[in-house]
Amino acid sequence: MKYAKRIIFVPLAIGLFLFSSVSFSAADEIPKASLPVLTTSAGQSADVETLNVICEEAGIPYDYCDVPDVDLIKSGVGLADKVSGEGFHVEVNTDLNEYPKGTAYKTIIFAIGASLKGMGASGLTVDAEISRLKEIIDYCKKEKIFIIAMHASGTSGRGAPGSDNEKMIDAVAPSADYIIVSADSNKDGRFDAIAKDKGIPITQVDYALEIVDILKQAFQQGE
Amino acid sequence: MKGKKLWFVIGILFLALVVAGFVAFLQPEQKKWDSTETDYALDGCTVIIVGKNASTDGSVMTTHTCDCGVCDWTWRAVPAADHEPGATRKIYHIDQFHTWPPEQGLKWEIVKNNLTGVEISQPAHTYAYMHGAFGYMNDQQLAIGESTIGCRKEMRNPTPSATFDITMLTLVAMEQCKTAREAIKLMGTLGEKYGYGYTDTGEMLAVADPDEVWIFEIMPVGPLWTPKSGKPGAIWCAQRVPDDHVSVCPNESRIGEIDLDNPDYFMASPNVISYAVEKGHYDPDSGKSFSWKRAYSPSEASASSSKGSRGRLWRFFDLVAPSKKFSPETPNMELPFSIKPEKKLSVKDVMDMTRNKFEGTPFDPARGLQGGPFANPNFLPYGFSLDDQRYNTPRVIGVNRAEYVTVTQCRDWLPHPIGGIVWLAFGAQDTSCFMPLYAGITRIPHSFEIGDHWEFNRESARWAFDYVDFHTQAVYSLAIKDVRAAQEEWEGRAVSRTDSTDKVALELYKKDPAEATVYLTDYSNNQANAVVNAWWKLGDDLLVKYNKLWIYDAETRERNRLNFPDWYLKELIKHNQLVPEEPEEKR
Repeated sequence: MKYAKRIIFVPLAIGLFLFSSVSFSAADEIPKASLPVLTTSAGQSADVETLNVICEEAGIPYDYCDVPDVDLIKSGVGLADKVSGEGFHVEVNTDLNEYPKGTAYKTIIFAIGASLKGMGASGLTVDAEISRLKEIIDYCKKEKIFIIAMHASGTSGRGAPGSDNEKMIDAVAPSADYIIVSADSNKDGRFDAIAKDKGIPITQVDYALEIVDILKQAFQQGE
Repeated sequence: MKGKKLWFVIGILFLALVVAGFVAFLQPEQKKWDSTETDYALDGCTVIIVGKNASTDGSVMTTHTCDCGVCDWTWRAVPAADHEPGATRKIYHIDQFHTWPPEQGLKWEIVKNNLTGVEISQPAHTYAYMHGAFGYMNDQQLAIGESTIGCRKEMRNPTPSATFDITMLTLVAMEQCKTAREAIKLMGTLGEKYGYGYTDTGEMLAVADPDEVWIFEIMPVGPLWTPKSGKPGAIWCAQRVPDDHVSVCPNESRIGEIDLDNPDYFMASPNVISYAVEKGHYDPDSGKSFSWKRAYSPSEASASSSKGSRGRLWRFFDLVAPSKKFSPETPNMELPFSIKPEKKLSVKDVMDMTRNKFEGTPFDPARGLQGGPFANPNFLPYGFSLDDQRYNTPRVIGVNRAEYVTVTQCRDWLPHPIGGIVWLAFGAQDTSCFMPLYAGITRIPHSFEIGDHWEFNRESARWAFDYVDFHTQAVYSLAIKDVRAAQEEWEGRAVSRTDSTDKVALELYKKDPAEATVYLTDYSNNQANAVVNAWWKLGDDLLVKYNKLWIYDAETRERNRLNFPDWYLKELIKHNQLVPEEPEEKR
């Protein structure tokens, strides 16, 4: 019985320690984010699907569009009842009782990752995607919409200097209000450097799973 | 009189129906997006599978049309190696689609920078093998063909927690496995332990050895998986194709109901059903049997409903079992897993099947305006959008964006180095030429190891085939006849010489296996180099013959007009509002 207690207590204690160490170290830097939130892609890679799964797991109701323009973002919650088509996807998961259609978004989360295939499917070139992102970011800054930039696809998702991925990082990360990055994506300290240079809070994780708690905390603080 | 009127009315109605049918064929897609959440790779690859008792010579065959259009096409021959106890093998992330400018280096060197941080135990001996985008054949006659099948979107795992992608799995299988079953178990367990996905989604592999062939399908388990979870990082299932059957995978999951009590025909990861239950993709209380493809990659599309863009599955079964009269209206998920062909297939039949462009079917892309005056089946292979409407065009088996095509043969009556052959054709299969690479060879031509889509290179074998392909497009219906004559000369001869080549190699093998290896290496390389040279020459000849859209006859030194078909001229008159010349006497 004595051993049985130990068997339960030891892993529990280790688990609590590990969990709390991640949470507390991150908690100091996690800024608050507010609903309603729009998730979107910077570069049209599959990383935006990771972001959406994270939001679902965190219980954060979100609207999603892979290629919104400023007018669509202006239309607010409900994304003007747009319907998904080839190369254009929308989902409306925001609680419409709490945030009726047309409510302005307070947060936008960008999943950064370039995919020529994804951009091609949406009829975008790299330059067109960067131009679209710039317009959105300018609008967010003007309207004080909180920008979170997430990069979770790791080293291979980074590419060489000047690569399409790097261009997407340059287009979004320096303008973000908060950066979430996987350790594998930040091996060369690129995101640390951007965060330091621009004074942006940054949280680094080992696995995408950890972003679930980070976003939970960010949006709980914003409630 | 009444009777005549009635027939007139019936005739008009019939004509109206025919016209309506034709118009409906090119109507825009009403449903713009598949209602399921499956992430299909419509532009991916086709795999054809032939069991040993379904082939004319007893060989087990697989194919792979590597239909990318922007991918790396280079090949490597990796030597066998012995390893010290405790040796490890580094695992890299290898993106199927990513390429680098040649000045940055070659793909198979650059990918070694993409370390995952995982190293697996190396066995005492690893086998020699050949690979392109995937592993294809090792010196034990283990053979593989690949087709992306997609999965539910939320199952994708593009995060680094997914250590293995499908390319890396095939390379490790080639290095470590002698049989299809060994390879499936190894790839499955590696995916479970280290996580599967990253740049890949659901994938299908045909895994063959001289005795049998299996369809192996593997999928990621979502981006939130971590190796610390204690749960499998992949979900997989495999079904054996009966020895007297053939099957196909055209970017669609093929495994339906499974019977894990029959291990001679089914294998799967431990989470094969529980994951579907956990995620709500299968209700065990529904009274319905579990179906792998319906749980993880559902779709209701058919050849007809997709206007031929999902027609490959139907077309394959229609080709191998025409008397069954499979309907293009049948949803693809209801077509069989495999079928006994009405005629056994030779390797040449299989090569021809990889070139199939739905000729003579309602989805023939060469017909009418789409093919132009010279019946070119290669226009608009992706469909198009116009005025906010999306129009599908047929996606044929022999699509012209192939990086290369493989047909593998595993033959149990010969020693492994002789029994295994990869027939490799670079570029689009209609204008390319299959070249034999025996399993026991120790090198491949250097021209197979280099080349890039964005830089013409006469040292790259692939460009010889693209050179011919390019010079075939303008007057396709004429130039393809010249290409087919060359294919018959080079490919046909290589196929018919296989028996004599095998015989010589076998005699040498009995004396000394090393001598057989030298012979087969020389034969394969000489044949490949000869074909590449012939294709450069063929490209030159096509350029000369159809120069300026005339026909220059090198023998007679005459220049002849191209004859445009009447239907095209009639359309031209109508569209451009041409008026006929006045008769001479009236001028």
